[in-house]
Amino acid sequence: MRPSRLAGLLILAAALLLGAGAPPPLKAQPMASTVPMEAWNAYMGRFVAENGRVVDTANGDISHSEGQGYGMLLAFLAGDRSNFERIWSFTRTELMIRDDGLAAWRWDPNATPHVTDVNAASDGDILISYALARAGAAWNNPGYTEAARKIARALGAKLVVKSGDRLVLLPGVQGFSADERKDGPILNLSYWIFEAFPILAQLAPETDWTKLGVSGLELLSIARLGPAQLPPDWIAAPARGPVTLAEGFPPVFGYNSLRISLYLLRAGIADAQILDSFRRNWLVENGGVPAIVDIPSGRVVNQLTEPGYRILGALLACALEGTAIPQELRHFEPTLYYPSTLFLLSWALLVEKYPRCL
Amino acid sequence: MSLKRAALLLLLGGAVVPAIAQQIQLPVGNAPAADRTPPADAAVRPKVDESALRYFASQGDTRRLEAEIARLRALYPDWSPPADLFGPQSDPDLERMWKLYAEGKLSDVRSAIAARQATDPSWQPPPELIARLDESENRRRLINASDAQQWSTVLRMATETPGLLTCTNVDILWRVAEAFGKTNQAQRALDAYTYLLTNCNDAAERLATIQKAMPVLDDEQLKQLLALERKDPQGQPEFAPIRDELIRRRVGKAAENPEYVVANDDIARLEAIARAGDTPGDPMLLGWYLFRHDEASRALDWFKLALDRKGGAKAAEGYVLALNSLGRALEAEPIAFEWRDAAPENGKAYLDVVISLLTASPPPVLTETVLSRFSPVVMRDKYVPGAQALGWYAYNTGQLVVAQAWFQTALSWDPNDEPSSYGLALTYWRLNDAARLSALVQSWRGRSERIVALVDPQLRAQLEARNLQGQINRGTDPLVAAALRVTPPPANAGASAAAPAYAAVPTQTGFQPIPARPATAQQFQPVPAQAAPVRQAQPILVQTAPAQTAPAGRGYTQPANYREAAAAPRPRAASGGGSARGGGAAALSRGWRLMELNRPMEAVAAFDDALRTGSGKVAEEAAYGKSLAYMRKGMTNQAQVAAVEAPQSPRRAMQLTADILAQRAYEFYKDQRFVEALISLDERARISPEQQDLMMLRGWSYFNIRDYQSAERIFRALAAQGNTDAMNGVTEIEFARRLYKRE
Repeated sequence: MRPSRLAGLLILAAALLLGAGAPPPLKAQPMASTVPMEAWNAYMGRFVAENGRVVDTANGDISHSEGQGYGMLLAFLAGDRSNFERIWSFTRTELMIRDDGLAAWRWDPNATPHVTDVNAASDGDILISYALARAGAAWNNPGYTEAARKIARALGAKLVVKSGDRLVLLPGVQGFSADERKDGPILNLSYWIFEAFPILAQLAPETDWTKLGVSGLELLSIARLGPAQLPPDWIAAPARGPVTLAEGFPPVFGYNSLRISLYLLRAGIADAQILDSFRRNWLVENGGVPAIVDIPSGRVVNQLTEPGYRILGALLACALEGTAIPQELRHFEPTLYYPSTLFLLSWALLVEKYPRCL
Repeated sequence: MSLKRAALLLLLGGAVVPAIAQQIQLPVGNAPAADRTPPADAAVRPKVDESALRYFASQGDTRRLEAEIARLRALYPDWSPPADLFGPQSDPDLERMWKLYAEGKLSDVRSAIAARQATDPSWQPPPELIARLDESENRRRLINASDAQQWSTVLRMATETPGLLTCTNVDILWRVAEAFGKTNQAQRALDAYTYLLTNCNDAAERLATIQKAMPVLDDEQLKQLLALERKDPQGQPEFAPIRDELIRRRVGKAAENPEYVVANDDIARLEAIARAGDTPGDPMLLGWYLFRHDEASRALDWFKLALDRKGGAKAAEGYVLALNSLGRALEAEPIAFEWRDAAPENGKAYLDVVISLLTASPPPVLTETVLSRFSPVVMRDKYVPGAQALGWYAYNTGQLVVAQAWFQTALSWDPNDEPSSYGLALTYWRLNDAARLSALVQSWRGRSERIVALVDPQLRAQLEARNLQGQINRGTDPLVAAALRVTPPPANAGASAAAPAYAAVPTQTGFQPIPARPATAQQFQPVPAQAAPVRQAQPILVQTAPAQTAPAGRGYTQPANYREAAAAPRPRAASGGGSARGGGAAALSRGWRLMELNRPMEAVAAFDDALRTGSGKVAEEAAYGKSLAYMRKGMTNQAQVAAVEAPQSPRRAMQLTADILAQRAYEFYKDQRFVEALISLDERARISPEQQDLMMLRGWSYFNIRDYQSAERIFRALAAQGNTDAMNGVTEIEFARRLYKRE
């Protein structure tokens, strides 16, 4: 590792520690909603069924632990206790059925039984635990905090594993580890939801969440592959050996990885080195529009023009260059589940941290 | 993890079962208050939550209302329903929540509670509502976990919500019992089923409980459950409808494990329903049970029926195995072949059948089809036992060159396969290929006595002695046993020796399939289909053949009256060359005429002519005639070479081989090479039963190597049948023993 990169990592680590060292958020503190009620209601109306199921409208109307986690986080950010409870009720009853305390990741309305893959997906569990912890503290609901703690402990026990000098987040319980794949562990860097780690560290201190964050940033800095220097959705990151594209997965910077910049910014990690490749690709080369990029060739496969994706570029421009959010992105119109979710998460961050761009 | 688990078990052990006993209100209405642990604040009359009651009353839902009243009375014996039950509800918001609950909209109820608490932080939902919600949610969660086979979650839900475990939730009880079963707690599963059959009254559910318990419990536990059987209103035992299923279970279990035997009544009943039905399941079950309990012939009929009822691969497998074990492998082969790719078991059954055909003793006459479709399978799978079996078949039918090729093929796949090496060594021995035999023996020195014994008369004698020692206790036929033990048949032989079954099969063309592609070229002597390499091999044989220099006319050293038997065995009547045409046909019939005139050496020349100019049937006849001619001259090595000069039909090749080996045995005996005489006899015994004259030869061979024990056994056996020569043998032995004693 070159000294400059090491130095960069140390700074990042400091940033993470800073996050963890901030006053514990696990106590009741009234907070202003960062997701406007009107926008949230529109989102609810389109994507949240009466029974609390968050529907992935671009994926055969299935649901997954990630969607439930996003729904709960947005409900919390909108200050909607009633619908937070609604979504959690479904999540708990339908997905929190694994023996190890993690959520089953895939729920299909057209299958019987509905859970069609009982494997866990770590980003879903992180989102659910994180949303529960924040809601538990903000709304003084010990039940939520206790549920969050159980999930955080299970996450630490089952999905945070040592890999050489790194501490990594396995994407799921089955199929990704070094034992199961010879190029393993297989990782998805967009599952590292950095903003949640300080909270998880309080819920489950037996796991070194700070180190997990440092490993994630290190991997992000070395996983900038191909001519575009962007992190692929799925990487093979053996403990000894270079990081490469994971076999059997599309070799793209795609729908997974494009939320990484959002996660970094939400966690307060405005590291120029990592964000720079996003900036170059989105802001310099593609006129502010994120794109699916073929890693080996560096070519754009598909430009993503929906507001939910464009706001990711606008948020980056705002954070790095102070650029104001364009007018056409200042109004929320639900489109599909995923970009709409990204839109509201970006918006919440703008409201909270970058009001100057609005 | 293990700690957690242990804690969980403890929790469940302590909580669930008593909980089951406590929480459930029996429809009979006996209040369980007595055995319930009194709550800490027992003195204070608990405040009874009547909101559900009021809601049901407002809805006019009398069924639920009555159930709720009964439930509250069971919980609070002093309580009585309020007088104003049907008055107006005081809290429309709460009423809406109950309504949502009654509609099963649990998330809506949760949402409504949270919404109200958000606006009115002091408001608390009625505990009864929360309890009902928890129960309903956990009920769903338990079902979801059970569907996803997350058994610990199932048990956790049951522990957290013991109120679920009631007769109104029989499905939940079943799932909990199953979760106990899946987590190795069969006793607790039994407790749950027992609870259910003791307390719940729905006839269909009771019957289904037995069905659910069947895969979870063992027989003993199931018996305990069946003891809870009641009589239905007609006075019939309520579990009668699943009696047959229980029989199937017992038979199925015993079919898997032959140590278990079921009652004859069970079999009789199952046979009756199998006959009456039209599905393959019961016949198949009977087939497997009977087959595994050594009743292959009854099993066969059931497998046949199962196969006819489209029982598929499993039925075919059973049918094939049963036929094979009845010594009817030849019948089994076509079916085995047809199903060979259906499942791994079918593939194995096919290989087993063909191997048992190939290694049967004496070798059956196999059709071209059997062999030609087996060889590719062996080659494809590099299946060593298959190549070895083909080697034995070729060997036993006198096709030594082909045998050599197959044994070498087997060894190219597995150089350490001793039986194949033994087969190859015997083949070299028979071909008089001393050089290669000794090289092979060298490589097995210290690893296989029987291979080394082929060139080491002393070791051979030791082995004979040791085998005899072993046989004394077993009392088997010494001749057969000696042959089997010193020159044992290949691995899979011996399953059946039902020779007569094969006799009816028409003789087809000779067995010629040889390994198509040698795996390693150096190791493998390419053997073309025709006899060319045999001619190449001939010089070697001429150089090393010891018998050709044997002084003619030397008599047996042992009793004179045996001399007559030493004449060459009478050849079978020559089949004549009538059908032969053109090419070598004339030479062939000249050869046979010369044989009739007892001018064998001239006949050899004539047969040679026929071999040179003729092909196919003519060449086969000529080679046969030539070997007979040599044999008549006592030139067995030449006879053997001649025999393989053209492919012989398996039946004839076998006959020829047996004759040649007998002749060699005589010659070895004449040369006082008694151990080799015994080897020849052993080799012959593989393919053809030993007649009295050869048994006498064997006896005298043992006598001459001073194995009096073996010799005596044979002589006495023959003497018992009135054989006077054998009686002489016994006398000789007694004399010899006295002689040695005196020394």
